[in-house]
This record gives sequence, C-alpha cells and structure tokens, in this order.
Amino acid sequence: MQRDWPDILGGLLLAAIGAGAALWAAMYYDLGSLRRMGPGFFPVALGAVLFLLGLVVALPALARTADAPKIEPATAIAVLAAIVIFAFSLSRLGLAGATAVTVLVATLPAPRKGWVWRIVLAAALTVLTVLVFSVGLRMTLPVWPRLS
Amino acid sequence: MTTWEGLLFGIGFVTQPEVLIYCFLGVVLGTFVGVLPGIGAMAAISLLLPITYYITPEAALIMLAGVYYGAQYGGAVASILLRLPGTPQSAVTTLDGYPMAQSGRAGVALFTAMASSFVGSVIGIIVLVMLAGWLSRAATAFGAADYAAMMILGLVAASTIGTARPAKGFAMVTLGLLLGCIGTDVNSGAQRFTFGQTELLDGINLVALAMGLFGVAEVIANVRNPDRQSVAARIGLRRLMPTRGDLRRMVPPMLRGSALGSFFGALPGTGSTLSSFLSYSMERRIARQPERFGTGAVEGVAGPESANNSAAITAFAPTLTLGIPGDPIMALLLGALVIHGIQPGPMMLEARPEMFWGLVASFGIGNLLLLILNLPLIGIWVAMLRIPFNYLYPAILVFLCLGVYSVRGLTFDIVAVAGIGLAGYLLAIARFSPALLLLGFVLGPLIETNLRRAFLISRGDPMVFLERPIAAGFVIATVALLLLPVWQAWRRRGAGSRL
Repeated sequence: MQRDWPDILGGLLLAAIGAGAALWAAMYYDLGSLRRMGPGFFPVALGAVLFLLGLVVALPALARTADAPKIEPATAIAVLAAIVIFAFSLSRLGLAGATAVTVLVATLPAPRKGWVWRIVLAAALTVLTVLVFSVGLRMTLPVWPRLS
Repeated sequence: MTTWEGLLFGIGFVTQPEVLIYCFLGVVLGTFVGVLPGIGAMAAISLLLPITYYITPEAALIMLAGVYYGAQYGGAVASILLRLPGTPQSAVTTLDGYPMAQSGRAGVALFTAMASSFVGSVIGIIVLVMLAGWLSRAATAFGAADYAAMMILGLVAASTIGTARPAKGFAMVTLGLLLGCIGTDVNSGAQRFTFGQTELLDGINLVALAMGLFGVAEVIANVRNPDRQSVAARIGLRRLMPTRGDLRRMVPPMLRGSALGSFFGALPGTGSTLSSFLSYSMERRIARQPERFGTGAVEGVAGPESANNSAAITAFAPTLTLGIPGDPIMALLLGALVIHGIQPGPMMLEARPEMFWGLVASFGIGNLLLLILNLPLIGIWVAMLRIPFNYLYPAILVFLCLGVYSVRGLTFDIVAVAGIGLAGYLLAIARFSPALLLLGFVLGPLIETNLRRAFLISRGDPMVFLERPIAAGFVIATVALLLLPVWQAWRRRGAGSRL
C-alpha cells in the first residue's frame, strides 16, 4: 500500500490540462456572449470544468492509500517504438521491410524465449501483410526497400 | 412503411450476398474477439473502422454491429471456461458459469449462455422496432435545447452509473469534450488548438483515437499478462443439452433479463454491462434458494447473458433515431457513420430505410448465424483460447498501423496512434476510463452545436432549458444523477456514525 499516486498525479495533470486549455482559449479565441457564443466559449467552459474536476480527483486522493499499479515500461516502450518505427520506415523500407522490422521489435517484450519463433513470425506476417494489403486490397505502397 | 413491410424489406436487403457476407464476417470476428480475453469489441471495431471506407455505409454498420453483438456471445465462452471475462459485459457470467464448468457442466453452461443470448437478442429486436418508430416520431418535437440536455444527461449517466469514482468519469468525459474541440470550429471556421499543424485541421482522427486508446493500450496491457498466456484448458463438453430441470429454471430469468436489458439498453449512458450486473443481482434476490448462486446456478448465467444481449440491441434505438449514442461503442459506430457522411437522426427511418431496416434484419440473421454456428463450433472457439498472445499481438500492431495509415495516407496518424496509445495505457493503469473519453469526444461537437443553437434561439436566456418540458425533464434527471453520489456518501457517513 502506498499513497494513491495514480489519482493524485492523474488529477493534477487533468487540472493542468484544463487550466492550460481554458487560458489558451481565453487568450486566443473569441469568447462571444452567451447569446452568440464564439469559438472560445465552449473550450474555456470545458477547461474550467476540467480544472475543477482534476482537483476534485486529486485532493481527496492525498489522504488515501491504494495498491501500487503494475506498470511495465519496457513493454510499453517496445510496443510504442514498434509503431513509430513502422511509421517512419514505411516509405524507406517498403511494406515488407517495415512489417518485418516492426514485428521483430514488437516481439521483444514477449515472454517466450528464443529467436527462431520471432523470425518465423516476422516472415509469416510479412508475407501475410503484403498479400492482404498490397495484393488483396491494392493499397498503393512500395513493397520492397528503396535501394538508392 | 409499416413494420412488416420494413422487416421484409430489411430481410431482402440483408440476404443479398454482398451484404450477408459482411454480416457473417462481423459476427464471426466478434465471437473471436469476444472469446479472446483482453481484446474487446471496442478494439476490434476500432481496428475495422478503416476497412469500412471500402464498403457501403450500410454494410459497414451491419458488420461493425455484428462485431458488437457477436462479442457478447463470445464473451461468455472465456467467462465460463476460464473465469476470464472476454468482455466486460460477460464478467458477471463468471460467477456461476465457471462453477458450472468446474463441476463438469461446461457444455450446459455454454448452451445456456448461447440460448439466453439469442432470446435476449430477439426480444431486444422487438423492443428496438417498437421504440424506434415511437422515438423518431417523438424526435420531431425535439429542439436544440432538448438535444443538448439529453446528450448531457447521457454523459452524466455514463460517468456516474456503475463507476466507483464519478469524479474520474466526469473528468474523462470533459477531457473528451475538450479533445473534440480540436480542429476547425464548424460554426465560425476558427481553428482551435491546431498549433499550426495542418493534420489537425479536421480534428483528431477518430480512427487514430479509438485505435490508440483501445487497440494499442490493450496490447501493451496484455503482452506479459500471465492470464493471457496459452491456457491448456481441460474442458468437459460431453453434454451440451440441459436437463428438463435446467430448462425450467433458465426460461424465467431469460425473459426477466431480456426485459431488464431492453429497458436499460435504450437509456442513455447505462448500457449492457450494467444490465448484466443488475440482472444477476435481481435473480439472486428473487431466487428461492439464493445460496445456490455462486456455486453454478443456471439462472446466474441465463439472466445476465440475455440482459446484455438485449441491451446491446436496444442501444441502437437512440443512436439511430436521435443521433445520440448512449454508450462508447454506440459512439464509435456513430462515428463510423459520420465518416461516411451520414448523420443519423429522426429522418433516417424514411430517408435511408435500408440503413435502419437492413440493420434490424441483420440483427435477426446475425443472431441466428451465431446460434447455429457457435454451438457446433464451440470446440473451435475453445481451441482459439490456446493461441498464444505472443503470435497474435504483433499482427494486431501491424494491422493497426496500416489501417490508420490507409485512412488519410499520413505518417502523422501512425505516430499519433503511438502517442494516444501511451496515454490510453497510462489511463487504464490509473483507472481512468478511456471509453468515457471517447464518448465525450464523439458527442462534443454535437453538444456544442446544439448548445450554441439553443442559446441563439433563446437570445442567451438559460431558462430555455427549464421552460421546454422535454429539456426540463432531462435537466431534472441529470441533477438527480449528480446528487445521487453525494447523497450516497452522506448516507454512508450517517450509517458510520451510528455504528
């Protein structure tokens, strides 16, 4: 047991987002009036509400304990990195290359040991993706890596 | 068009091969994701959204809806066999379904779940047809203030009912509303929170948001989850057919559950998870031997499984006739329609009969397919439970990236999915509901437009929300819901001081 950090930090973050959005909207967008609302009215109102709600979540949590949540940073990093790698390698490595690299990175946190299954899986999924998206759905994507 | 003409027309529409195939695909895929714990209907529908660009809006809606109610059938399988709810709606089925499986009656439990789901769906369809006609007539009396008040009631209901900390639910809804403001303001053309990014002019892409919040976040949460590793389940499926005593005990709960689910499904913000829990507690309360519950009572499977399925069907009534989604999955389906340039509303029954009646008929045909397919194929679904997540999730990730890229061809969207996925993972860890965020996101622009219109018509007089009887009713219900948690806390404190 520890302090209820998820609610404290989450609440404070939400309050900050709310305050930031409300201030930004109030500074840069036209508020208008209740009768004729400008583009800033709704965001300012929502930002203010979110600020208050964030505090309502965070402040009572200060006096409370909760089980520490299980976070798995390594898994999260590997999965997110796989997606970002796919985004940036698609144009250079082509569909086949991007898929293979993404699958290899994505399997890094998998509990099963060994490399053979990862390579087999990457190859199988690469073939499958090319067949489904390039041949089947005719998406206009480069399939192979650009050599130049 | 009368109801019978409509139904015949709908059946004629759905039985066209090019529509039927999507209905079939939807229910099979839905069962699949329902069976797999960890990947729910939300994630599956998010993943399928890009595909719907390639097919007609009617076929798209029929397919996505099939995923939704198909997942309700599949959800029961993992609940009964492994005590792992495949979907939140079937969580309560574990309470008696798993003990039944433990005592060698897994087959009977599965049969009960499937039959109850079917009965619930059929009753849900009947209620939906009656409600939809009535609602679309009533909706002609709805003004901007009424719409705004009803949507706010929906948001408040969704964030207070069945949640431990309503403030966190409200905060998520508000954040969703705020995210919905990003992009070009429809009313004035001003750009809000775009920070010079041209990719944000149309707002945050719904597909990217849904995929990040549900697809990516669920993958991260399940990669190293020991429950998700392959399960060598030994399951006795020797006997599927229930005894006569079982049948006698399961029919009344089915009917009660269906009635309960039909009612709560149509209300904004409640939905099928709540219905299944309510049905379970109702059955236990009225049972002659409540002590049987939790040890494998057929009623504890039949009631909730029929309730969640009928609720899943009637939830379409407000979505299609008023254009107001009552729960996050409906919001996602509504978003899919809006992608196709269709704004559901009171006119849809007349203007697009193939949409409404086709969908209604597809519910009937889809549920029949599920019933026919699932009982003989139960062995296949059980085998699916043995697919290790290790092989599945890299495929999901690649599919998700390509799916979101195919929508606009922007690398920006794939990177956005990663960012949103991180946020979704953190939200899930801290127990903030990403589903409520999505509900707020979809409803945001609708609420803003209707609020602005209401105040424009009333010349800035907020009394418009109390003078119009429809709006006033929604406002009163909203206030009551807001006061409920306060009252409960006060009562609890009172009880504590007496002790």
